[in-house]
Amino acid sequence: MSPETGRETALSLRGVSYTYPGSETPALNGISLELRKGEIVFVTGPTGAGKTTLCLAASGILHHEYGGTLDGAITILGNNVRDYRNMGEIGRHVGVVFDDADAQLIFTTVEEEVASGLENLGLSREEMQRRLREVMEATGIADLADRAPHTLSGGQKQRVAIAATIALGTKILILDEPTAELDTEATGAVSALLRRLSGEGTAVLIVEQKLGDLAAIADRMVVVEDGAIVREVLPEQMAEDACLQHPAGDGARPPAPAAAPPGAPPVISVRGLVHRYDGVVAVRDLDLEVASGEIVAVVGENGSGKTTLVKHFNGLLRPTEGSVTVDGLDAGSVPIAELARHVGLVFQNPDTMLFAETVAEEVAFGLKNIDPGASEEPVDAALREVGLIHRKTAYPRSLSRGERQRLAIACVIAMKPKIIVLDEPTTGLDTREAGRVMEILGRLRQGGHTIIMVTHDMRLGEEYADRTVRMEQGRIIRDSGIYEEEPCLKSCSTSPGRAPFTASTRSPN
Amino acid sequence: MQYVTRESAFHRLHPLTKLIFAAVVVALAVLTSDTVMLAALAGAVVAIAIVSGLARDLLRQVPLLISLAVSLLALTVLTIRSGEIICYLVPQSIPVIGGAFPVTAGAIDLALAMSLRFAAMLFAFQLLVISTQPRDLVHVMDRLRMPVDYTLMFLIALRFIPSLQLEGKRIHEAQLARAYNPGNGLAGKIRGLFPIIIPLVSNSLGKATILGLTIDLRGYRSGRRTPMRDLSPGRADVAGICCMGLVVAGYLAVLLV
Repeated sequence: MSPETGRETALSLRGVSYTYPGSETPALNGISLELRKGEIVFVTGPTGAGKTTLCLAASGILHHEYGGTLDGAITILGNNVRDYRNMGEIGRHVGVVFDDADAQLIFTTVEEEVASGLENLGLSREEMQRRLREVMEATGIADLADRAPHTLSGGQKQRVAIAATIALGTKILILDEPTAELDTEATGAVSALLRRLSGEGTAVLIVEQKLGDLAAIADRMVVVEDGAIVREVLPEQMAEDACLQHPAGDGARPPAPAAAPPGAPPVISVRGLVHRYDGVVAVRDLDLEVASGEIVAVVGENGSGKTTLVKHFNGLLRPTEGSVTVDGLDAGSVPIAELARHVGLVFQNPDTMLFAETVAEEVAFGLKNIDPGASEEPVDAALREVGLIHRKTAYPRSLSRGERQRLAIACVIAMKPKIIVLDEPTTGLDTREAGRVMEILGRLRQGGHTIIMVTHDMRLGEEYADRTVRMEQGRIIRDSGIYEEEPCLKSCSTSPGRAPFTASTRSPN
Repeated sequence: MQYVTRESAFHRLHPLTKLIFAAVVVALAVLTSDTVMLAALAGAVVAIAIVSGLARDLLRQVPLLISLAVSLLALTVLTIRSGEIICYLVPQSIPVIGGAFPVTAGAIDLALAMSLRFAAMLFAFQLLVISTQPRDLVHVMDRLRMPVDYTLMFLIALRFIPSLQLEGKRIHEAQLARAYNPGNGLAGKIRGLFPIIIPLVSNSLGKATILGLTIDLRGYRSGRRTPMRDLSPGRADVAGICCMGLVVAGYLAVLLV
């Protein structure tokens, strides 16, 4: 029982230190944290601070599943984690949402996924059905019930993983970056659900990089740096806490390069694009033009067709109907290897591409593919641009998450494409690292590159892009490039059917 | 290969009936090397798939089966000399090396039998997997008192097949965007695998850890599972089991005669 609140302690860590097997540096260093029943504690801190390790420690996973050296005491509902026989026993009291939603989805339909844990609780069928319906509606996945989890967007997968965990009805919830890929609406729904659960007595520990809606529902916030808790802050103080904001730049857009001459052809032109996957229309009747030197943010809710659209720019997807022209080439028929000279694509997860022994080899891979006789100079220049020249000989997968993201950008820069497309460039990065990435993009634009970034983070588009294209259900429903100049079009946005806005070739600058 | 949401007759059967069906086909396929009987067995499985509207899903395995049959044929022709010589890979009219690598009836029979056996087993297993939700299979395996570790291994294996395919596709796309060229010749092709294999293995190992933890945390070792849906067998299951009994009896009779 906590003397301050009179509420019982659900989870407690006292002087917890942990060192991973094979490492000499502790990942956690004397952490003490108490989570009371019905309390929401929000843990934040920079990338690599030890937040995920804290989740693993608090859920007993470090003790039961990992080796390494664990000191201190961790208790769950009054019992030391050492007293629980295995994770199955802990799972009756603690639900964990891991940061990799994809890996948590075991089954073949969304409904089966959410129902799977319920069937192991010894509940009646009626109670299982009630919980299943309630959780699926609360997390906004009721309409996805029959979909295969692997066909969902990143944000949809994250919602399914959250629903499957919450359905278990555990007294303690530990969520590691649960909304990293969620749009505003979905984050709001998850926040409301967590707030309701805490009202019913569930203790909630949330780890997040960004201070969004989830931070607003927290009773306390804890800042972790270098494996230790450096301070606790009340929610209303967070916005003013300069140390938490990690400003990497002044947020101002870098000056644009000289505007494209009037009448110059757009660097990307999409006409009547339709794309269908297995009968599902992902992009429908879409028109878009992008001028040279623009930074365009393609924003929209999860599953709105953003990634499908940009995969047409480098030929990874070919139009079902319509046409896509990139730098004068027909992206519907030109080989991908040829398009790669004109368009670079940085994937959301840099780990999908890293395979080389050194950072320099990794960067040289793409360059050598298009120019086998290329010198080392573009490799060094790209690494200097992203601030990784000092890690040139390091093993790529040993870099931090933020460094790996910058390395992925360097791999593309070295190939000197005119257009650079980034899929969710700041997901999984802390504010400081996200700021660094955006600074790099600003410099690239100054260097004459056209930048297209896909993001579910509306604020990112507003702060850094010249132009924001918003997608919904496979259509562009708003394009700030013409929205500001032709406000009369606003009324069209409410009309059903065709996409109301067509993008302009004019740069706002 | 994974569950397909559909309302087919085979989907509606009890998971145990489908499990018995797959086991029976595997047993019958192993019991004989007669190509006619194996062809009849594979044909019967395909016929069931056609009646259930699942034939298109089965046909996706045909390219794999053809490449397997060709490999087996090459292997048996090169290593087995049994029965009548049908022809020679190197015509006898060529001086010195003429008449090398005779193609015998025994080698072709063996290759055909192995290919048909594999086809029958693969089709039966695929019918089971595409028509049965994994959690229903887990319930049945529990009822059969299979050790929980084996049940979970089976579940993870089922989950990992599509997951690996998807991750491999994602990695392939990421490397294609870097103008990846798998290379020419055998050495080039082998070198060209590294950009795909290394990220695939590294990422899969990380996912496997989380997958294992998720299974534990969802209580799959608790041993007190209550299926959400009613899994009682119906008339179709009784009829199916009877049919299988008749087929097995007939099959054994033909084998023993």
